[in-house]
Amino acid sequence: MHRDEIPPGTLYLLILKTLARSGEMHGYEIANSIQRISDEVLQVEEGSLYPALQRMLIKGWVTAKWGTTAGNRRARYYQLTAAGRKQLGVEMSQFERVIGAISRVIEAA
Amino acid sequence: MVWLREVARRLSMLIHRRQFDADLEEEMSLHLEMRQQEHLQSGMEANDARAAARRRFGNVTALKEISHMAWGWEWFEHLAQDVRYSLRMLRKSPGFAAVAGLTLALGIGANTAIFSVIDSVLLSPLPYPEPLQLIAMKQNDSLQNVIDIQRQTRTLSQGGGVNIEAMDYTGGTEPVQIFAAYVDAGLLETLRVPPMLGRIITPDEDVSGGPRNIVVSYHFWQNFLSSDPHALGKTIPLSGNNYAVIGIMPAGFALPREHADVFVSLWVAYPEAAPYRGVHFMRTYWRLKPGMTLSQAQADMSTIDRRLAEQYPDNERDRETLLVPLHEWLTGNVRPALLVLFGAVGLVLLIACANFAGLLMARAIARQQEFVIRASLGAGRSRLIRQALTESGTLALIGGAAGLLLAKWGTGFLVSLKPPELERFSGIQMDAHVFLFVFGISLLTGAVFGLMPAWSAAHADVAESLKEGARGSTAGPFSQMLRKLLVTAELALALILLVGAGLLIKGFSRLRSVNPGFNPTNVMTMHLQLPATRYAEIPRQTEFRRQVLARLNSLPGVEAAMVTDIPLGGNYVGHSFVIDGRPPIPVGAEPETQTVSVMGDYFRVMRIPIRAGRGFKAMDREGQPLVAVVNEEMVRKFFLHENPLGARIDWSRREGPHQWMTIIGVAQNVKHSGLNQPVDPAVYAPFPQSDEAWRRWMTLAIRSPSASAELIEDVKKQVWSVDSQIPVSEVHSMEDLMGVSLAQQRFNMLLLGLFAALALILAAVGIYGMMAYRVGQRMHEIGICIALGAQRRDVLRLVLGDGAKLAFFGIAIGIAGAIALTRVMTSLIFEVKPTDPGTFAVVAILLAIVALAACYIPTRRAMRVDPAVALRYE
Repeated sequence: MHRDEIPPGTLYLLILKTLARSGEMHGYEIANSIQRISDEVLQVEEGSLYPALQRMLIKGWVTAKWGTTAGNRRARYYQLTAAGRKQLGVEMSQFERVIGAISRVIEAA
Repeated sequence: MVWLREVARRLSMLIHRRQFDADLEEEMSLHLEMRQQEHLQSGMEANDARAAARRRFGNVTALKEISHMAWGWEWFEHLAQDVRYSLRMLRKSPGFAAVAGLTLALGIGANTAIFSVIDSVLLSPLPYPEPLQLIAMKQNDSLQNVIDIQRQTRTLSQGGGVNIEAMDYTGGTEPVQIFAAYVDAGLLETLRVPPMLGRIITPDEDVSGGPRNIVVSYHFWQNFLSSDPHALGKTIPLSGNNYAVIGIMPAGFALPREHADVFVSLWVAYPEAAPYRGVHFMRTYWRLKPGMTLSQAQADMSTIDRRLAEQYPDNERDRETLLVPLHEWLTGNVRPALLVLFGAVGLVLLIACANFAGLLMARAIARQQEFVIRASLGAGRSRLIRQALTESGTLALIGGAAGLLLAKWGTGFLVSLKPPELERFSGIQMDAHVFLFVFGISLLTGAVFGLMPAWSAAHADVAESLKEGARGSTAGPFSQMLRKLLVTAELALALILLVGAGLLIKGFSRLRSVNPGFNPTNVMTMHLQLPATRYAEIPRQTEFRRQVLARLNSLPGVEAAMVTDIPLGGNYVGHSFVIDGRPPIPVGAEPETQTVSVMGDYFRVMRIPIRAGRGFKAMDREGQPLVAVVNEEMVRKFFLHENPLGARIDWSRREGPHQWMTIIGVAQNVKHSGLNQPVDPAVYAPFPQSDEAWRRWMTLAIRSPSASAELIEDVKKQVWSVDSQIPVSEVHSMEDLMGVSLAQQRFNMLLLGLFAALALILAAVGIYGMMAYRVGQRMHEIGICIALGAQRRDVLRLVLGDGAKLAFFGIAIGIAGAIALTRVMTSLIFEVKPTDPGTFAVVAILLAIVALAACYIPTRRAMRVDPAVALRYE
């Protein structure tokens, strides 16, 4: 099965959107969720989620707290903050602007 | 505020960074395990499953590091690591750490302390508004002239005069002597410091017959008016009159040079003196009009001088008023001493930096190999440099912290020495700016010289250096040269300081051995002032004096006499005089002499030898022939080729027929103004024969084998049994006064001595460090020499000769520098030439001995070398 690398700069958007949709998630769930919803097209280098999550923690877009998985394992759950929700809006409109511009360029032929 | 929360999050990560790393680790491994589990469930082999999970995850270590670094603390972690490493390295060589740290501490501490004092005394502005406008007159003047100048000047906006007089405050339980500033209305106005409460004296009060109003100092208000906020309008008894308080000055206020407890109008407090033009007893302060310069004011003043001279030729013919900026006038006395100290401090700082640099370089050369190895193992250039900087920075910080303590302590120490000139400047504190400046210089030194090993390691050919290291690394010719230069410079600078200190010490010992002309041992002195209200007439004063002396001399073991002003007390009254039978001298050009009124057997009490004729006797009293005793200086100046005994003199001011005093004796010279001051001609005359009723003050000279507090109380009781309203003040022992007279010199000597000692130690450490290192380097060579049959003497010559050469150059350069520099000290040293060959010789020899001793210790090590060991020495 062919998988596409995610476009640069959209990782935050994907994480934010995923968390917005499903509330609390740990890293593995986030990675799986992105893959599943994109019908296995978008492939994240899963490890790179973690530095991204750290940067989002610094920015205050997400918070993290330790909880227990269904399998009774300790896992760190991430949750969107108000600032994160606002950032999601920003990232969305930015993404749409770029996509719109790209499609216009392509269709102008 | 968003950024603030972000900073808080980052900080909390820094604090919990171990936990952070553990959490990340756990989170990532959970992820990997779950993925592996998934693969296993889809039927993979265990190994494949793990490999696939890892492949999808990426480089765990790198990702952990990226996550960690996202928080932005790696610089701090590196720094902490470097500091830890530096501390470990310093602990491993405690000698080096101690010497380098101490060098810096002394350099930083001493410099900050001295510069703080200089800063507050020389550089800080005067405590008056627009201080640059304020000027002083070098000469005193009379109130009448002040009034004329105020009217005529076109360059000065304001001005006024002040004369300090003792007054008796009798509002308390004991009469107390206080100091009153007799001023004109212009004085306080000129200084422009508003009163804290009430008002200052106005021009319409400052007239003959004006109201007895008084402005008091904060200090007076606190001590005598119990800080009463309603003190305005109260009356206080002073010298027999009541004065109404109209104003209270603020806490920090003081006259530029005078101590005053209260301020009263001269016209009101001393109306007799106000109209006299010829008696120049007021010190005057002036303010330049905005935009006017000192030279314009000086020209203006010369015009006024000429006009006054034409108008009043009798009194004012020789006017030559000189204006000086007030700040310069106030700091003039202490300026040369402080500037010399400043220079000394600068030299010590140079020596300290040179030493620090030398130490770092020695260490750098010794550690070159370590740096090369680290470079060869892949340490980046910037990381190596950062590491080197951290090391010298850590050292500088430790030295700086110790220096800070030393600076605080040193500033307190300087102020506690209380040279009289510094007393005026209260609130001298360690100056933080100065500390930072000096500290910055040391940091820079540390940075520059600490960088060398990293620099050369970063640029060295690693392979070459490692090979060279195996042969015993030698320093490059450049750094050898530099170190020699540093040590030579240190020795030269130390020599300059030592010469300066030597000159001061020699001058001080000269000063100490100056014969004051009397015997100060066991003599107490006290000041008495009779109030004008009850003691206006001389017979009344004489009666008081006679009774007091009679009572004091009846105390067991006590010899007592009186004199107007005690030697070394800082005051005397001068008169111009004429000699009977000499050709007449134009009015105003008569010679001056110090005039001293005495009562009782003053010469015997003070043990002042009579060189010819006799001293005063009880018969030399009122109604008897007028007599005088003169000092040797008087004889030398005016009776060189004739017998002074029997000659007659009188004050030139006399109106009407002269009342000649016959000279009956010659007393030995007495240092009156200070031990380092020349002796002026002096005329002693008995109090009862004086016609100057204004000499209402006197100083008791009391010789007693037991100069105790009890004696002082006894004396006070005797005085008060004659008149209970007379304050007894300024109780000193004559030996204390001698001490005060020496204080400034002692202060200078002590400080410069301290610096010179410091410089000597630092220079010795410097040359020792250098030699020790050189010997270490030449072990191999020395071993070969000894193996080939060299004697110990040869080794001694070889190694010691090396140090001796440096010492010789350092001393030679230092002597040249000292000859050039000690000239600035001329005014500070008593009867010693700034190029005194004896001092130079002693200092040069001392420094040579210290330098050679410092070289000898490592040399001895070299002589004991076992050739077998030395040849193996790496």
